[in-house]
Amino acid sequence: MALEKCQTEWDEIEKEYQQLQETHKVYRQKLDELTSLQAICSSAISKQRKGLKDLKHSLHKCALTSDEKQSEQLKDIESQIKDKQHVFFDMEAYLPKKNGLYLNLVLGNVNVTLLSNQAKFAYKDEYEKFKLYLTIILMFGAMACLFFFNYRVTDEIFNFLLVWYYCTLTIRESILMSNGSRIKGWWVLHHYVSTFLSGVMLTWPEGSMYQMFRSQFLAFSIYQSFLQFLQYYYQSGCLYRLRALGERNQLDLTVEGFQSWMWRGLTFLLPFLFFGHFWQLYNAITLFTLANHEDCKEWQVFMLGLTFMVLFLGNFLTTLKVVHQKIQKNKEKLQKAE
Amino acid sequence: MSSGIPDVLKEWEVLEKEFYTVQETHRLYMQKLDEVSKLQKRFSSSISQQKKSLKDISRSVQKCRKGLSEEEAKPLDDIRSQIRERQNIFYEMEAFLPKKNGLYLSLVLGSVNLNLLNKQSKTAYKDEYERFKLYVTVILLVLAFLCRFIVSYRFVDAVLNFLLVWFYCTLTLRESVLISNGSRIKGWWVAHHYISTFLSGVMLTWPEGKLYHMFRNQFLAYSMYQSFLQLLQYYYQSGCLYRLKALGERHNLDLTVEGFQSWMWRGLTFLLPFLFFGHFWQLFNGISLYLMSQLPECVEWQVSMCGHCFLVLFMGNFFTTLAVVRHKMHQKNQAKAKTQ
Repeated sequence: MALEKCQTEWDEIEKEYQQLQETHKVYRQKLDELTSLQAICSSAISKQRKGLKDLKHSLHKCALTSDEKQSEQLKDIESQIKDKQHVFFDMEAYLPKKNGLYLNLVLGNVNVTLLSNQAKFAYKDEYEKFKLYLTIILMFGAMACLFFFNYRVTDEIFNFLLVWYYCTLTIRESILMSNGSRIKGWWVLHHYVSTFLSGVMLTWPEGSMYQMFRSQFLAFSIYQSFLQFLQYYYQSGCLYRLRALGERNQLDLTVEGFQSWMWRGLTFLLPFLFFGHFWQLYNAITLFTLANHEDCKEWQVFMLGLTFMVLFLGNFLTTLKVVHQKIQKNKEKLQKAE
Repeated sequence: MSSGIPDVLKEWEVLEKEFYTVQETHRLYMQKLDEVSKLQKRFSSSISQQKKSLKDISRSVQKCRKGLSEEEAKPLDDIRSQIRERQNIFYEMEAFLPKKNGLYLSLVLGSVNLNLLNKQSKTAYKDEYERFKLYVTVILLVLAFLCRFIVSYRFVDAVLNFLLVWFYCTLTLRESVLISNGSRIKGWWVAHHYISTFLSGVMLTWPEGKLYHMFRNQFLAYSMYQSFLQLLQYYYQSGCLYRLKALGERHNLDLTVEGFQSWMWRGLTFLLPFLFFGHFWQLFNGISLYLMSQLPECVEWQVSMCGHCFLVLFMGNFFTTLAVVRHKMHQKNQAKAKTQ
């Protein structure tokens, strides 16, 4: 009878459920053990860190009163300390930790450490894909605003999307850094500055000044998106090759600039990059000229001019530094060969 | 404390030895991590399997139930209630497993796991959320006061509006994390924050002009009242929640909300008039904006859009609160009927 069938089915399920409860108990136990191990590991690492810091202090004091041989020793120890700090950074990438200021503000105290290499790599891939898709959407959005719609509303939507995009990038990058990715300096700051820029663009009211700058800004956005797309395409191929050769870290990301590893095959991107930078300079100069215009009463004009100038300087000087380093290296090679 | 070279070298050796211990501990940790990850996966899949079986048997029970008398169907009803109980148990169990993020969190954060794995951290996270709300509400109150009475620049207004947008966005993010961790915040109170984000965003884009100035003071006064009200709510609700949690009558992850909930009848009824006043202020804002949009000099789309938003906020808030009041009255009536 159907009733009996149901009863038998239920008994089966009950049996499996008992097993499940057992697994649950074991899991919770192991989880607790893991948590206490995590705490031990974290505190051991912080203790070592502190010890190394104190040692460095003592080293510096000693370095003043040491002879030739001792100096060598001290220098050796100092470089070993630096190596250790790298090792700790990598170890902590697998331990839950307190979030930095930015993540703390936005997310609070939830731990964002991904606990396996696989998960970290998957997260990085997801970040790259997110950047790619949004870049394409932004490119089409800018084209639509420039060629089809000429309303402040669609411009606002585009600007809000930009603000949201850069904010989200900063959050995801903070998470990546918490997981051991070594994104540095200007490339992180760059996104905060871009968020601010898009925010200010957002508040710029409709007017003759706005209309004068609008087309230039939208064309610039289209070029930026196209350039980021190019970068992503070529950089990811190059990174893949270099990772396979073991020459780059698994968590290295594609960036919006030029980095030292890109000399191996991506040099052709440099002119495109510099063109983008000079467009930023051109935007800044245009805005400063507009700010001096007699009709101009919006504070946004001057503020945007300043921001574009900061972006230009940051991008240009950072890229120039990479070129400069390469030229130096080439010179040294030539000197050695002679 | 200066030390000579030999002391430094000795210190270095000690640190080196400790470093090897740290490496060992870390290695053990990575091993255990691997073990727990595998166990997690197994456990996760067993739960999904059980859930599926429960669904299947639920369907069979439903079929069997047809055409049976009360007496005969008793064992089936028994199974049904056990299934329901089981589902609750699984919900509690899954709170300790990593889970996929919903659409919103996936979009913003990606697939990082946001499950806090023990009760202590969940409660700590909730407390942090409440504190965050409190601090930013105070900042918003002060800033709105500044804009209303002291400075009158569009720039400072823009800063206030950006802060509002950021505040509501961050609230929605943190609330999504809380929901992911088992907090039962429902329906309107979540939607409410998304709408407020949108409203603040639209206010942000409203250009300087005659109509903006017509509405500005009203909006700033309203913002001050809102912040004040939220402070009141936080203060009284957290005290009340604390008491009720101690009595075991509320769930640990229940939050203070911007409305009125059923548990608030025990001592917080005095807040109701303040709340309703806030709701009617929202209605008033909506109507003012609607009237302004009918003026001949109104060219900004923001006016009617903000009007719509305020109306939606009013209706959502008012009717949700009204539902709580009606429910209470219904309960009272039932209690009266029973005693008669």
